[in-house]
Amino acid sequence: MKPACSFRTRLFAGFLLASLLPLLLCSALLLQVFRVQLERQVESECQEYLDHVSQSLTALYDGFSQTARALQASPYISPILAERQYENAMVYTELYSATEGKRSHARFDLYDSSGSCLYSTGSALRQQPLPTRWGILYAAQQTDGLAVAPAEGGDGDAAPLLQAAACLTDADGKAAGYLVATITRAQFHQQLDGTYGSRNDLLLLDRYWRPIYTSQTSLADSLAPLLRERLLAGQPLEQTGSEFFYRTAFLQEPGLYLVLQCPQTFNQASRRLLATVAAGSALICVILSVLMSLRLSRQMFRPIQSLHRAISQVVQNNLDVCIAPERNDELGQLAQRFNGMVAALKQNQKQLVENQRELNEAQIRMLQAQLNPHFLCNTLDTMKWISKINQMPQVALMSTDLADILRFCISPDEFVPLRREVEILHRYMEIQSIRLSGRCRFEVDLPPELEDCMVPKMILQPIVENAVLHGLDGVENGVVQVRARQRAAPEHLHIEVADNGHGIPPELAGPYVRPAASGAHSHLGLYNVDTILKKHYGPACGLWLARRAEQPGTVVTAVLPLRKEEPSC
Amino acid sequence: MRKPTKLLCCLLVLLTGCARQAPPDTVRGAPAPQDRLVLYTSHKEEVYQPIVTEFESRTGIWVEVVPGGTNELLARLEQEQDAPQADVMFGGGVDSLEAYSHCFTPYFCEDWDVLDPAMRSSIGLWTPFSALPVVLIYNTKLVDPARLTDWPDLFSPAWQGRIAFCDPSVSGSSFTGLVTLLQAVGADMDETLQTFAVHLDGHQLEHSEQVLDAVADGTDLVGITLEETALKRAAAGGEIGLVYPDGGTSCIPDAGALVAGAPHPENAQLFLDFIAGLDVQQRLESEFSRRPIRKTPVPGTLPALDSIPLLEYDVVWASENHNKILMSWAFYLGGGEAS
Repeated sequence: MKPACSFRTRLFAGFLLASLLPLLLCSALLLQVFRVQLERQVESECQEYLDHVSQSLTALYDGFSQTARALQASPYISPILAERQYENAMVYTELYSATEGKRSHARFDLYDSSGSCLYSTGSALRQQPLPTRWGILYAAQQTDGLAVAPAEGGDGDAAPLLQAAACLTDADGKAAGYLVATITRAQFHQQLDGTYGSRNDLLLLDRYWRPIYTSQTSLADSLAPLLRERLLAGQPLEQTGSEFFYRTAFLQEPGLYLVLQCPQTFNQASRRLLATVAAGSALICVILSVLMSLRLSRQMFRPIQSLHRAISQVVQNNLDVCIAPERNDELGQLAQRFNGMVAALKQNQKQLVENQRELNEAQIRMLQAQLNPHFLCNTLDTMKWISKINQMPQVALMSTDLADILRFCISPDEFVPLRREVEILHRYMEIQSIRLSGRCRFEVDLPPELEDCMVPKMILQPIVENAVLHGLDGVENGVVQVRARQRAAPEHLHIEVADNGHGIPPELAGPYVRPAASGAHSHLGLYNVDTILKKHYGPACGLWLARRAEQPGTVVTAVLPLRKEEPSC
Repeated sequence: MRKPTKLLCCLLVLLTGCARQAPPDTVRGAPAPQDRLVLYTSHKEEVYQPIVTEFESRTGIWVEVVPGGTNELLARLEQEQDAPQADVMFGGGVDSLEAYSHCFTPYFCEDWDVLDPAMRSSIGLWTPFSALPVVLIYNTKLVDPARLTDWPDLFSPAWQGRIAFCDPSVSGSSFTGLVTLLQAVGADMDETLQTFAVHLDGHQLEHSEQVLDAVADGTDLVGITLEETALKRAAAGGEIGLVYPDGGTSCIPDAGALVAGAPHPENAQLFLDFIAGLDVQQRLESEFSRRPIRKTPVPGTLPALDSIPLLEYDVVWASENHNKILMSWAFYLGGGEAS
């Protein structure tokens, strides 16, 4: 059933489209909105973290600057450093008061101009002198404010991480000594821990993107050079498909970069989860669509199929089919109409069969009727010859007439020329004259132009017989006149059979009407003729009865169309 | 496909297609081209990193370091000759640099006048960084220093098969050592090569570091290496003694050179000034166990260069005969005999 399949497929496609498309659109939109929202949130969170760390580091830097300014402003420090005096209590007092509240964040050392450590807030003085032509002290000489540089020294928590140095000048502006603040990894960690989010990692880079501090030590070797490489190559810091994204901040004063490494909000796992959910929903949609389309198409298809089956039955001429009425909708109405149609068809066919049967019977009857008359004719001819031999001329005449009439009757022609019909009337009247011993006269008025008119066979004989048997019953000198006339517009042939008998009762005058059943038999001849005419030529034709005007008697007029050839049926 | 369906598909593609946002704007802080320097270096990170960091902080120039082996980097420079990527080749003996002189452009650094005349290029092709005398080393526990004073002592049967020597085709310093040996012995080249190969017993090391390892752990008794690496290992506590051969040794500087057609020549010149400058040279010995190349001796613990007997090392001859020497060496080491 290909059409049904295609209908079902189309229905399925429609359902699928109607369900899947909104789902997918909705999923994509939701995903997008969700992602944007999440990213915005994470973005602002990152910014907050960065701001927080920046503030904290800037505050630290400002604190160191303040200390440096305070020491520079002190009248004792520079001269004492210039003289390289150790253990001066005044210097310690000044150093401690200037570093009040900052000593937990860093260790402060005072170096003389040659780079030897003279004073320290730490537990012991640094033995190793710092180079003045290299590194942090050199940088301090080059700047008015604080120079910041990564400190060299190991990986441990106690190892120095970052150094800030300021050059303390004497009255002439020459370097008298240096203040160096050293932050260890542990102190730095303490300062920043928990301020940049537990899932994030922080990288503190110098001005040239070399790592100073990383929240995970391994990142200094793995990530920091990579980021620097990308920066120099002009690439974005995060590569497509990477697990992390990066946000940076530049601290203007110390000249440091902060890089926050955050895990992607939409990482592989969450993306996979969302994809699974979406795929699951889509699958449910597909299944639902299949079920719905199957169900609906079946609902639609079943009545159509039963209708289809029923029509096939009808095509195979089985008219007993009937679709059970199951539903009341359009399809139900369709089924009912179909049932009605089949019933009507069945009725028609029955009628047709009946008609055919009747027709067959009539044909059989006719054939049967035609079987014996030949034998009768032959018999009558034999009788004629026997009568002639036995000198019985009347019997011979009657036999001859009867045989002619009989032959005329059984001839296969349905229509005959009017001349032939009149001839038969003569034969009939000869028989009647013998029977009535010449009490009856027969006159024919047939114009020659009407002799060839074709009329149904044996329509005049019954009328004449009727006139002889009923109209002239007991009448002396009876006359039966037959007159044929043409009437114009429309061209009709009127054949009048007039007698001078008793006449008909006045109520019978007019078009022939079949009398009530009681007297039916007596007028069977007229009835037959009238029926034949009407059947052949329509209701306008038929018999017309009238009383004669000026004398007793009846005129029966047969009205029929004027035709010169046999009408085609 | 009808029109509305098409439209919907487009919409869908659009919605799902822009699932990835454009990456954020390029990071601020990337340096301008004039603030960059690309450095090819064969030095170890511990050598170049402090110098590069200090250079950056002094000049504000961002240095991109491309580390690698000397020969590898020189080959790369030669390949890139049409469109040079590097500004400075930093590291490698000057004999190696001389061999690739077509890749470099002469530059006389700021302090050229105060450099040791023996250590500077007369045409300024390269700027010396540190002097690297070839030395003999021995295991202090297993070897009597009196038995190893000069090059011919290497041919003593006592060291048969226990001399640490690196493949000269791999290590530039090993090649310098081999040429120094040839010049110090002074005899026929092939003969000397064969004698030395016989004493190695066909055994040479693949990496110059392994020379120190082998001598320090006693696998080998004596070895040939550079003063710098030997001093470093000795300072780290290795059982290694140094011998400056009586008959003289070579002292080839390693250097930096300005790449011809460098993208940032001014910055490259600044860098070359910096490595030969006083501040770097003063720290060479203390920080890197290297010998500075300035005229004025820097106070330090290293024996003064004057006190070390030196050979006239013929750089040009060495570069010209580079392949020949290596080929002969491979032949004799494989058991070949002089004709």
